[in-house]
Amino acid sequence: MIETREPTGYRQRQRRKLTFARLSFYTFLALIAVAWAYIFVEGDSGFTLLLEGRTWDNAGKFLTRLAGAGQDERPAFLQPEQWWATGRLAYNTLAMSVLAIGIAGFGAFLTFIFAARNISSGSLGGTPSRLGAAVYYFLRILYAFTRAVPELVWAMLIVFFLSPGILPGALALGVHNLGIMGRLAAEVVEDMDPAPARAMRASGAGIFQIFLYAILPQTLPHFITYLLYRWEVVIRTTVVVGFVSAGGLGLEMRLNLSFFHYDQVTLLILWYLLLVTGVDFLSAWMRKMARFE
Amino acid sequence: MRPARPLLESPHFLSLLLLGAVAWSLTGVAWGEPLLHTGGGDSALDMLLALFPPDLSPAFLLVCLQAAWHTLSIALASITLAVLIGFPLGVMASGALVSPDSRLRAPLMLSSRFVLGTVRSIHELVWAVLLVAAIGLSPLAAIVALGLPYAGILGRIYAEFLEDTPEEPLTALRSAGASSWQTLVFGRLPMCTPDLVSYTFYRFECSIRSAAILSFVGIRGIGYEIQLSLGDLLFSQVWTLLLALLAIVALVDFWSGRVRQSLLES
Amino acid sequence: MPNGYHSTPGLKDATAPLAVVDNVTKTFPRVTALDHVALTIGAGERVALVGPSGSGKTTLLNLLSGMAQPDSGVVAVGGRDLSHNLPRRELSSLVGIIHQQLDLVPQLPVVHNVLAGRFGHWGVLRSFLSMLWPQDYHLAVAALQQMGIADKIQERTGHLSGGEQQRVAIARTMVQSPLLVLADEPVSSVDPARAQEILQLLLALTEDTGRALVASMHTPYLVSQFFSRAIGLKDGQVHFDIPAPELTQAIQSDLYGLGQEESIPHQD
Repeated sequence: MIETREPTGYRQRQRRKLTFARLSFYTFLALIAVAWAYIFVEGDSGFTLLLEGRTWDNAGKFLTRLAGAGQDERPAFLQPEQWWATGRLAYNTLAMSVLAIGIAGFGAFLTFIFAARNISSGSLGGTPSRLGAAVYYFLRILYAFTRAVPELVWAMLIVFFLSPGILPGALALGVHNLGIMGRLAAEVVEDMDPAPARAMRASGAGIFQIFLYAILPQTLPHFITYLLYRWEVVIRTTVVVGFVSAGGLGLEMRLNLSFFHYDQVTLLILWYLLLVTGVDFLSAWMRKMARFE
Repeated sequence: MRPARPLLESPHFLSLLLLGAVAWSLTGVAWGEPLLHTGGGDSALDMLLALFPPDLSPAFLLVCLQAAWHTLSIALASITLAVLIGFPLGVMASGALVSPDSRLRAPLMLSSRFVLGTVRSIHELVWAVLLVAAIGLSPLAAIVALGLPYAGILGRIYAEFLEDTPEEPLTALRSAGASSWQTLVFGRLPMCTPDLVSYTFYRFECSIRSAAILSFVGIRGIGYEIQLSLGDLLFSQVWTLLLALLAIVALVDFWSGRVRQSLLES
Repeated sequence: MPNGYHSTPGLKDATAPLAVVDNVTKTFPRVTALDHVALTIGAGERVALVGPSGSGKTTLLNLLSGMAQPDSGVVAVGGRDLSHNLPRRELSSLVGIIHQQLDLVPQLPVVHNVLAGRFGHWGVLRSFLSMLWPQDYHLAVAALQQMGIADKIQERTGHLSGGEQQRVAIARTMVQSPLLVLADEPVSSVDPARAQEILQLLLALTEDTGRALVASMHTPYLVSQFFSRAIGLKDGQVHFDIPAPELTQAIQSDLYGLGQEESIPHQD
């Protein structure tokens, strides 16, 4: 029998691994069941509303008013001057997303090298030091914290002390993405081929020259590609930070919703979709350019 | 030997373009007016100092725990909905169900891709605002608001995984007389189950963060509590809530890392 | 200047050997890579290191390059002890090494990979400036001309063929202009015709009086054709040290373990 020739330890490990995955799966299913039960038991889940005709009437009314029906004048999204008037907001929102990417990009660019383990340990050049190790841990914790706090929470905190405009929104988005970009870039450096850097060191290069000529050329294309991907996410999120008075399309959308100007909301959503599609397209085009190979 | 690269493809050009874009975006900031509120610097300092220490009183920790469970339950419910919607759409979008020469193939794939793309391109908070306006404030609105964009993301990735399965075993199944359904259930699905499961788990992680911020439209949970504490200027409570959010996300991250690892190794 | 070199730094004492390896031992956790090795290499010598894999060739090259330090004994080049943490500028004018894998940065244009040989002489500002406006450009041009690939100077290094990349690596060492040029298996994975070309180019590096070449080699007939001296290593010790033309097939068979008893590691 072939099976008997397999070491038994291996089979046991296999079984244990499978059990862990399976156990996790069942735990997850149980959690889901408890969550649904809790939502129904805890109070008004809203699902009973689905059985009432009134709810559907309201939803229908909301949709028709989004479509511009039930008002005397022409809906906003059919008036060119309204498009023009809200275009300014779309322009600001775009600027906010670019500024956010700029903040995240510069912040990560200035720090990622010190957050890579192979740099702080001196294995690519330079000498390992206590300071380098301390900076490494500080940056890794900073990245973890900034990316774990959602953009919207950052925005809520920042509007506390910054004047409204595109800056607080951009800062909130930028800080969150700084953590994401920093970690990604540091990991790219850690996965990089160390041989060219070592060869440069052997021919007399210092740490700065190694950074400029060996590390940067190898990591920059990845860095820019990730940055462009993040831009696609950021443009979708600009609206969200706008909700908490950080400016742009989001703020206007919330105001219009609370004044029941639903045709305006539709116009703003159309602008939003336009921006999202446009940025997706631009980012794809630039990523093609960044494919330096 | 290759021809010299055209200007548009030179890395310097792209870098300049990006720098130019950032410079342009800076013009959108109103530099003339004070950037800080009056007293803004002080409140920023207060906020920072409130971390030492965060509010750890038992009563508030209980509030935290409740809020965390609220958020977690919304995340769990919405990921269920997302899988229920995203999986069938993803299967349709992958084209695995129709034979390659069927006339239905292109319309089916394109329409399901269109649906997935549309629900995906609207942020969950925008969905939440619209749904709350349409059907009122309730956990249902939150679950649907999260479930729709997540269904879009899951569906697209499911479709990609299903398309990327190696062809040879499938051809073997087909030549043994298996129908499209049978190749799906006995061929494609078993082959990409680890990928599907670990990606769903990763998205569950993201949905916790999303559920926390959904509270801002008025649905209870961590975000809602943060909003209340901020309103009362109780910054040390804000920190406790933030740390609680970090703790759940880190816990799930650790768990899903272990599950991924064990799925990959087996 | 006959070739891509700038002026040769003269030795303090013309009669002193260019490189000295004195009673050097180097051990790694499980093996003794070099066991009390002593050698002197004079200016103008072209030395081939031969021996089976694991015999200590690469370790010896690494010690000579100053990138590794011996456990005991002294390695000196140009009268300077390499264990004395020399400033990188000085070390780079003493030794340069070309690795088997070349270790160029594929994303950079050729010119920067060649000018990396000048980094020991540049400060931070000049290195930064060179990114935009290559410094010491004429050195790179001259070196690449000598290598016959001056037309590739602006090309991306990764787009070049393997042979062209090898020339870029040699051009870098030419620009670096060290007294002692080290090459780790320079022709191990190329066809015979290319091997001849590459060895010719490597010899051009040490044409000037006052320099020397040390390369680890596998092919006996190339050694006798291009080198002046052959040093056989075995189990971390110098097994023979003879003029290259005498590297006969007989010694080869002994070295590569035709005599079976010889290949068993001794325990003393």
